[in-house]
Amino acid sequence: MLNIQTRQEGNASVVTIQGKVNFEVTAQLRDVIRDTVTTLQPKLLVINLESVSFIDSSGLGLLVAARNSVDKNSGKLHLCGLPPQVKKTFDQTNLTNYFSIFTTEQDALRGA
Amino acid sequence: MHKGVVLVVDDEAPIRDILSFYLKRAGYQVLLAEHGRMALEEMGRLLPDLILSDLRMPEMAGDELCQAVKGDPRTRDIFFVLVSAMDGLASKIGGLNLGADDMISKPFHAQEVMAKVESAFRLISMRKEIKRQNLELTRFQDRMTAELALAARLQMGLLPGIPGLAAGLSYTHRYLPAEGIGGDIYTIVPLPDHSVAFMIADVSGHGVTAALISAMVKTFFESQLRFGGGPLAWAQGMNRDLARSTLAEQFATAFLARLDPVQGTIRYVCAGHPAPLLIHQGAAGGRNHISILGGKGFMLGIDETLPFGEQTCGFEKGDRLVFYTDGLVEVEREDRQLLGEEGLLEICADLPGDREQAADLIIEQAIAFNHPAPFTDDVTLVLLDRV
Repeated sequence: MLNIQTRQEGNASVVTIQGKVNFEVTAQLRDVIRDTVTTLQPKLLVINLESVSFIDSSGLGLLVAARNSVDKNSGKLHLCGLPPQVKKTFDQTNLTNYFSIFTTEQDALRGA
Repeated sequence: MHKGVVLVVDDEAPIRDILSFYLKRAGYQVLLAEHGRMALEEMGRLLPDLILSDLRMPEMAGDELCQAVKGDPRTRDIFFVLVSAMDGLASKIGGLNLGADDMISKPFHAQEVMAKVESAFRLISMRKEIKRQNLELTRFQDRMTAELALAARLQMGLLPGIPGLAAGLSYTHRYLPAEGIGGDIYTIVPLPDHSVAFMIADVSGHGVTAALISAMVKTFFESQLRFGGGPLAWAQGMNRDLARSTLAEQFATAFLARLDPVQGTIRYVCAGHPAPLLIHQGAAGGRNHISILGGKGFMLGIDETLPFGEQTCGFEKGDRLVFYTDGLVEVEREDRQLLGEEGLLEICADLPGDREQAADLIIEQAIAFNHPAPFTDDVTLVLLDRV
């Protein structure tokens, strides 16, 4: 089960994801991120992965696509709260160097 | 064009006449029968959509007719309304238990009967629509299943034949796609200088799209080989090709290597792919030292400007390489444990020398670890020995 919540913090949109991000749920997550990016056009999009237990390659693909679409609106994408398991996946795919990654949500919001 | 066919079964001519009159006026085609047996004969000529049948009749009564109609697969979908002089709940329940779809009690108002007929036809047309859609779906599904099976056979044909031999290397694989066809691919190509080009890749997602892209990945790799060069140049070229030809979310993890049995070296690029294991003197089996051919690299196809790095390691006679895709080690169990690289290292710490047995053992142990969770992603395992 995937639980997604979005909220506004000033100019920033925060998307909090909870659960397992795999092929079965990417459509749901893609819609939320697309809606957030197109309707709010945030200067900063923060995706909080604190409660994500697992992310597979389709989930990573989604995040890469999210970064690209935020880039196009000259916004920024910050990820935060990567649990060890997720961090490992990011390290292995070198995405740690592709995304701006922060420890806490506060840091991610301040890092704008 | 009539609205449907109604068969009126009653031994009293005035009732047949009045129902027939109203039904025809409302636009239905009407068939008439005096009793059950005659009704069955009539149905031999034309199947009605709805039967309005009296209960008490000579020759064959309404309950018997109802059982005959509902017991025959050719007629059981005909809407059956039993008309009975016996009023009361018990008789209604009895009639419905016989399989009748509805009951009308005698004496009746023609308007009541017509209202029931109209409502029955609404149900009938819904049933017909559902049946039609079901048939369409079943046909569609059959066609898709057949096409997927064909595509799966084709995809299997893209993999190297096993057991395989190339320039002093022997190899085998296990390929388990999650949905009949998958996004994993690997290939081994002997090069003119007696070295061997190797690629294993895992396209994001699975199913048809991933399978299509995996075939592209193989083609991109092979076209890079024609330019000569080494893993770094191949990775850069493939990254560019993939970034230009796939959608935003589609890319591949890959491990590209040039295995040189003469020099005893491996040059490789690890592009976001699980690091292969090098079991020193592993071809003989038993407990051996294992190296991890790691390296941090981006996945292919994200962005054509991203950099890659090439690495080199030794590759001695008797060494065994274990290549795999993440589906093998990334099954999340109920307790959130994954086999992971650590688990695979444990399994590989003591493998039989026989490649086929070793491959089977790795798959079996991974399944045993994940139990009862099944593999959910495509799984590819390649064992390659320098003999």
